[in-house]
Amino acid sequence: MNGASHRLVQVPPGVQCFLGEEARRRRQIEERVLSVFEGWDYEEIIPPLFDYADVFASQALLPRTYSFVGRDGSLLALRPDFTSLLAKIAAGRLAGRPAPMRLYYSGEVLRYEPPRAGRQSELYQMGLEHLGGDPRAADAEVLAIAAECLDRLGVRGFVLALGHVGVFGGLLASADLDPATLERLRERVEAKDAAGVRAALPPGLVPAEVGEALVRLTGLSGDAAVLGEAERVLASCPAARTAVGELRQVVEALSAAGLAAHLAIDLGEVRGLDYYTGLVFRAFAPGLGFEVGGGGRYDTLLARFGRPMAAVGFMLGLDRLALLLDRQGSRPSAPPPTAEVVGGAGLGPGLRRARERRAAGARVRFEERG
Amino acid sequence: MSLTIALSKGKLLAGTEELFRRAGLPFPASEGRRLVVPLDGLRFLFVKDMDVPTYVEHGVADCGIAGRDVLLETAPDVYEPVDLGFGRCRLVVARPRGAADAAGTPIVRVATKYPRVASAHFLERGLSVEVVRLAGSVELAPGLGLADCIVDVVETGRTLAENGLEPMEEVAASSARLIVNRASYHARRDDVASLVAALAKARSA
Repeated sequence: MNGASHRLVQVPPGVQCFLGEEARRRRQIEERVLSVFEGWDYEEIIPPLFDYADVFASQALLPRTYSFVGRDGSLLALRPDFTSLLAKIAAGRLAGRPAPMRLYYSGEVLRYEPPRAGRQSELYQMGLEHLGGDPRAADAEVLAIAAECLDRLGVRGFVLALGHVGVFGGLLASADLDPATLERLRERVEAKDAAGVRAALPPGLVPAEVGEALVRLTGLSGDAAVLGEAERVLASCPAARTAVGELRQVVEALSAAGLAAHLAIDLGEVRGLDYYTGLVFRAFAPGLGFEVGGGGRYDTLLARFGRPMAAVGFMLGLDRLALLLDRQGSRPSAPPPTAEVVGGAGLGPGLRRARERRAAGARVRFEERG
Repeated sequence: MSLTIALSKGKLLAGTEELFRRAGLPFPASEGRRLVVPLDGLRFLFVKDMDVPTYVEHGVADCGIAGRDVLLETAPDVYEPVDLGFGRCRLVVARPRGAADAAGTPIVRVATKYPRVASAHFLERGLSVEVVRLAGSVELAPGLGLADCIVDVVETGRTLAENGLEPMEEVAASSARLIVNRASYHARRDDVASLVAALAKARSA
């Protein structure tokens, strides 16, 4: 077999094709999630599939972005995420619209991903952005919406793990560290490796109490009681305390609204796209080894597009939701009703009969020989 | 406690068993041939050492025990909450006794079971590197002309010496780590927290 004919059969790594039952199931999941977004009065935006490469703000996504040169020589990129696109639209096309704005999207993003757990190059994301308005109310609202989506889908035992980039960032705001040291510390905090954090602390450059607090971050996860402990551990760092205070307000609001059982605090969660500035969260559930979605606050992104405005958003991965629901053994969707076979008695009359049955709402299969 | 734990039957097994016994946790009787062993609510998976992180990252196992050397090579997206303290060894660059410094050679040919660690180590030093990936008996490679040097784990250094090699540089220190799947850590918080606490306590006891 020569190379060309081989490629006609082979599927490139990182993309998938969904058939029949699986395709139907994905549509059902999407419809259910989007109905929750609509139910909270969010407005759908259908952004373009590609835009100028500069629009996509995340340095972290840059090496994974499919970019190409347009006919006029400009550098373009297939969207690696929606948030930058929605920020651009909110600051540009919707510049006259008063805040807060509530926008949602549903579609594919494209990222070059090395093949790995649950990762594809073509990812289907459903998400929303809450732009402007009171930040704590917006944080609580989007978390409540994320919880409702998972609940409506029948996901059992889900947990929203909440962190805040201002804890790690606040602790190190005044330390003058080179990027490599900072990244090593961040990476060890992320791994919850207390001994590793201690070993990565540069001698003399970080005050002892800050170093101790960084080590303790690796263990500051659990239920809401962690927040009290965090306030003690972070006592000497006002910026990090402020971050914990913001989290506390959101957690108290969500707990009062009946969501306490679905919340976890994880102050060692320091990953995420680099445009996040505040609350960050990830959704986990038993049966899937990685998050089904997540989000966070990005208060500086819109300024890039000329309309400084605080914002928060999240997305759920359709591919991961489908996998999770499958692993949790949730009922597959009901098969479509059996079609009525209509036709015969000549092509014209047969087709007329089929159209009549369609007008009456029947599922028909047109068979010209009847 | 109801968790799936991935372990390797390699060099960490004895230390793992001892630690589990000290922590008062169940552990399967040795020399079994089964690869999946349920025991008192826990489920043990016995897999290759390089595969332990994969099982944990995918969430097939909630937790696992892996050497830091293996974690550096596989770079899994997992938590590493406890340094278990046993299985201590060093990842080193070793080359034939008396060989010239690698800085003078245009390209370093390095034989290793740790291709990612080895290439990162030399590239960070501005050296071009050709990694020769081997599955074992790495110490033979320089003497037979397959490579200029090796990157491998050493405990005592005796195997190196027997093959005419000497350690030149330490790449990293290694020991056994408890690793935890990120979803299990949150979605099965109570079970994971009690395992972490039990092993951390037994480790320092």
